[in-house]
This record gives sequence, C-alpha cells and structure tokens, in this order.
Amino acid sequence: MKTKFHLPGIKKLFLPRPADTGSLDASAGSARALFGPPPETAGERGRSLVDFLKQVTLFQDLGRSDLRRLARIVHERDYRDGEYICEEGKPGAALFVLRRGLVEIVRRGSKGKEVPLATLEPPASFDESAAMGTESIRWCSARARGPVSLLALGKADLDALSVNFPLAANKVLMRLAGIMAIRFQMLLDAQYLKESEEQQEAEP
Amino acid sequence: MTLADRSSRAGTVITSLAAAAGVALGASLVWGLRSLIVPGAVGGLVAYIVRPLVARLERFRVPRGVAIGLLLLGFGLAALFIVNGIRAVVPSETGMLELRIRALYALNQRYQALMGLDRSLTRGNRIYGWLHGDLDPVVDRVNQLLALTPEERAQFVASRPRGANDTPAGSDRLVHYDRANVETLKTRARAALPEPAPKGAARPPAALAPGSLAPTPLATLAEILSTWLVAPLVFLFLLLDTGEIKRGLLRAVHDRLLEPALIVLADLDRALGDYVRGLFLECCLLGLTVGLFLTLIGVPLQWTVGIGIFTGASNVVPYLGSAVALLSGLAYALLAEDIRPLLPMVSPENFTIWVVVAVVLAELVKNVAYDPVVFGGVVKLHPLVMVIGVLGGAILFGPVGMLLAIPTIAVGKVFISSTARQLKAYGLILRQSQEKPVV
Repeated sequence: MKTKFHLPGIKKLFLPRPADTGSLDASAGSARALFGPPPETAGERGRSLVDFLKQVTLFQDLGRSDLRRLARIVHERDYRDGEYICEEGKPGAALFVLRRGLVEIVRRGSKGKEVPLATLEPPASFDESAAMGTESIRWCSARARGPVSLLALGKADLDALSVNFPLAANKVLMRLAGIMAIRFQMLLDAQYLKESEEQQEAEP
Repeated sequence: MTLADRSSRAGTVITSLAAAAGVALGASLVWGLRSLIVPGAVGGLVAYIVRPLVARLERFRVPRGVAIGLLLLGFGLAALFIVNGIRAVVPSETGMLELRIRALYALNQRYQALMGLDRSLTRGNRIYGWLHGDLDPVVDRVNQLLALTPEERAQFVASRPRGANDTPAGSDRLVHYDRANVETLKTRARAALPEPAPKGAARPPAALAPGSLAPTPLATLAEILSTWLVAPLVFLFLLLDTGEIKRGLLRAVHDRLLEPALIVLADLDRALGDYVRGLFLECCLLGLTVGLFLTLIGVPLQWTVGIGIFTGASNVVPYLGSAVALLSGLAYALLAEDIRPLLPMVSPENFTIWVVVAVVLAELVKNVAYDPVVFGGVVKLHPLVMVIGVLGGAILFGPVGMLLAIPTIAVGKVFISSTARQLKAYGLILRQSQEKPVV
C-alpha cells in the first residue's frame, strides 16, 4: 500500500524565489498577511495536546495510548516575534512541531543577509534530522513570525521511546524517513528547475 | 544621569539582592534538610533502577499505576521470601547456645594452633610475639561475646538428653567443647590479669549530665524511620512521574538553552545508566570470583553461593563487598569441622589463612581487572578520585555516603563537562579559538 504524506507548509520549502526576495522588506505586502496574529481559533485553543498530535504527519500512525505517551515527553515552548527557535551553524538536538503561529525558515546568504526559504504553518514539523541522530549542524535557521507556540521532541526522548516502546518509535521513525525522502526529492526537483531556468536564460 | 538609567540601576540592584537572598535561603534550606539528602538520593537511585521494569510492563499495555503496584507486590513477596529464608536458617535458642559453644571452641583451638600457644596461653611462636599485643585483646573480646553466662550454661545442660547410652555423639562433643571453653576462659583470664591499679586511681563512672540521657533503642529506631521515610516517598513519587519533573525543569530554562539542556540531561541519564550497569556487572563478577575461590579452598557449594550473593549485593557500597566476604568466610572457617578442599595444600589447620588469601585474591582481581575494565570503563573516573570520594562520603554521611559518593562524582563530572561542551557548541560561551588574546 502506498503511503500518502501530507506535509502542511512544506510545499513552500525549496521553491525558487525571485532574486529580490533576499530582502525581507521587499515582500512586506504579501508577508503582512502572514506576519499577523497567529490563526488561533477557539476550537484550536481548546484542543488537547493529544488531538493536536494526531494531526501531525509524523505521528499519524500512532494510536491514542501512544499519543498520550508522546504528549508526556514533548516540551511546549512559546516564542516571541522574531525570536530564533533554532539557528544555522548550531548542532540540532530536537525536532519541532509548530502548534500555533508561523515560523519562517531562513538561511544566511553569501553576503551574510538572511534569505527566507519557507514559511511554515501548523501542524508542520521541522528540523527532523536532529531527531534522527545524524548529529548534523543546522544549515538553516527557524524564526518566529509573531507569537509562536510549538512542541519540541528531544533526540534523547525519541531514543528513550525507541527503547521502551519500540513499536511506537518505529512508526514515528518510518514517517520521519518518509518526510526526509520527500524533502530530498523536492530538493532534487528544485535544483533541476533552477538549472533548466539558468540554461534557458543563457541560451540566445 | 537620566531617570531611565536610575530606574534600570535600581532594578538591577533589586534583582541582585533578590537573587542573593534566594541563594542564601536555598543554601540554608539544603543545610537544614541535609539529613534528608541521603535517603532522598537512595530513593531516587532505586527508582531510577526499577524505572525500565515499569516501562517494560507498560509496553504490554499495563497501566502505569498497575505496573508500579505489581512491582511493589513483587518486592514485597521477595522481601517475605528472604525474611522466611533467614528465619528458617536462624537457629532456636538452644541451637544458638550450641553454635556459640562450637564457635568459641573452634576460635580458641585455631588461635592456639596458629600462634603455637602453650598451655598457659602466654608463650607462643614468633608470629605471636609480634602480634599478641594487638590480637589478644580482640580474641578476649570475642571470647567475652561468645562465652555463656551461668544461666545460659544451666539452660544448655538442661537441654542435653538424659542417659549416656542414647546420647548422640554430637551432644557429647558439645559438652566436651563447653568444658574446654570454660578451661580456656579461666586460663585466658589468669593470663590477662591486669596490673593492680594504684590506690585512688579507680574512679566511679561519671554521672550523666542532666538532659544528656542516652537514647533508647526505640527512640533511635523512630529517628531512623522518620528520616528514612523520605526514601520510599521519593521512590514512589519518581516512579509515578511520567516526565513532569523534566518538563518542569526545562520550562524554567531559557529558549536558547533548551537544546543544550536536552543534551546535558541526556548525558546525565547516560552517565547514571552506565554507572548502574557497570556496578551491577562488577557486583556479579566479584560475587562469582569470591564464590569460585572459596569453592577451591573447600567451602561447600551451598555456602559459597550464599556468600557470593551476599558479597555481590554488599559491593554496592564500595569496599564493603570484600569485607563481607572476609567476615562470612572467617565465620564459616570458625564453625566448619570438616572441609574438603580442591587444593591439596589447604588443611583444617591453615584453612583460616586460606580464606583470607582467597578474599584478598578476589579483591586484587577486582582492583586490577574489574575496576578499570568494567567499572572504570563506564564511569571514567581516576581510581584516586574514587578512593578520595568514597572516604569523603563516608566522613560526611557514613556508609550511605560511601554508596552515593561515586555516582555523585560521576554525575557531577558529566554535568560540568557536558554543560561546558554544549555552551561552547551553541556559542553561548566563547570557544578557545574565538577568545581574544590578552595584550
């Protein structure tokens, strides 16, 4: 059976951007809608953590009891507008799941200016490679756009889940592997599109 | 200076004062509750050890509360089993008297044989000449402890079966032992008669100062229980916790420190887990080694298994395992009447010496092989640090301090090194290469 992945917010990642998007102010018009107050509704506010986790792609395969277990090990964090959630060049130790608000993924360009790559919305997850135990250094930063509430799942917590509840951890890891594979595919696509665009521009 | 500057400075001063007051209050609280630190730490350590068992039960869809209940039930049954086993082994009142007679006889006979003592018990071989000043008081003290009082002797005589024909051989032997013990005690008393004290030197025992009454055993027990009541409470509290404590701790951490804190906590968990696993393995190996060596010198298998388990279990407190092995082996050597050694050079006469040799060899193997390879490999502490730490723990908190010294040092070391490493990795403190040179 083919598993269908739904990754909210991920489609914006790696998409080619116009050259002038290096400056954040340039896209102020369209961004204003994004940067506004987080889309919190009364229903969402009252939603329990377990219900929320059920919506997250990573945890969709988990049963109710596993989700309750997971809810006990995730860390709820709140960030203010502009605050960095994780920074480029620093080691990763946790994956994050966006619960409320918007998160912007940015990368420092060659001139030291930050280039926005994507804007994530709930219930997107990011920085999954940190939880995979690759001990990689982050290649991009995540910054809060307005007040943001998110869940952090430490690599050590995921390791403990693997030891104590291997079936549940296996389901999460399978999803993680799927997400990583999709991201890799998208990266390849983006690279291919960019190269073909450059080729077309170069042709007389 | 502007108003804003002044208010900012006042805010800093108030914050600093509040922080200092908080630290002083915390330190005084810790000092006031210092008697509860050790029981709390023991409860926490036991909870940490049994946590995986609860998790294993939870994996089979057993609710956490039920899993903890099952675990406590298991502990209760195990304790009941052990208590019943001990009760079955503990001799009756008459049996205890017989045991004391046998032990006293064996002690005196072996001491006399080892030291080459004559009938007056005052002249012996060269070893006696070197050691009698230290050993004689110890032997006298043990003799006093084991000797029967007139009432006990009357009880022992009354318990002997009447009639010479149907009296078992063992009983005859015990009566003979008892007579020999009485003779030896008299001879020792004559040999150890103190010099007459000068007149007026004897003083009546000093009267107890008012209010300095010695605590009764019941009061001591109540005091110990009231302090150690914390241990099961901490144990239960930590077992019932499903991550709230960790989450609460991390909630207090600044956002920038979240990931470093997660890594430091994981490192601490790993260090503690390594310590527990290393200690468990070392205890098992020491128990096996002691059991093997004692079997070789002729201690029967059922005794070596018991001594091995007891030695391994008590090795949780550093150096206690070997002490327990030595005492158990010597106790057996004292009571054993018939030994069948696998080594030809062991005989009943030198059996006690071989027990000491076996235990010393086991301790040597532990120090040379198990400590550096098994334990040192996981705890990564210098042996000198371990020795000083254990001594410090013993001075501060007694045997329990010895038990907790190594894990405390190991965890403290990992905490400091891991924190420094993560703070550097996340750029929260400067790396060495980034530090500006001092001009």
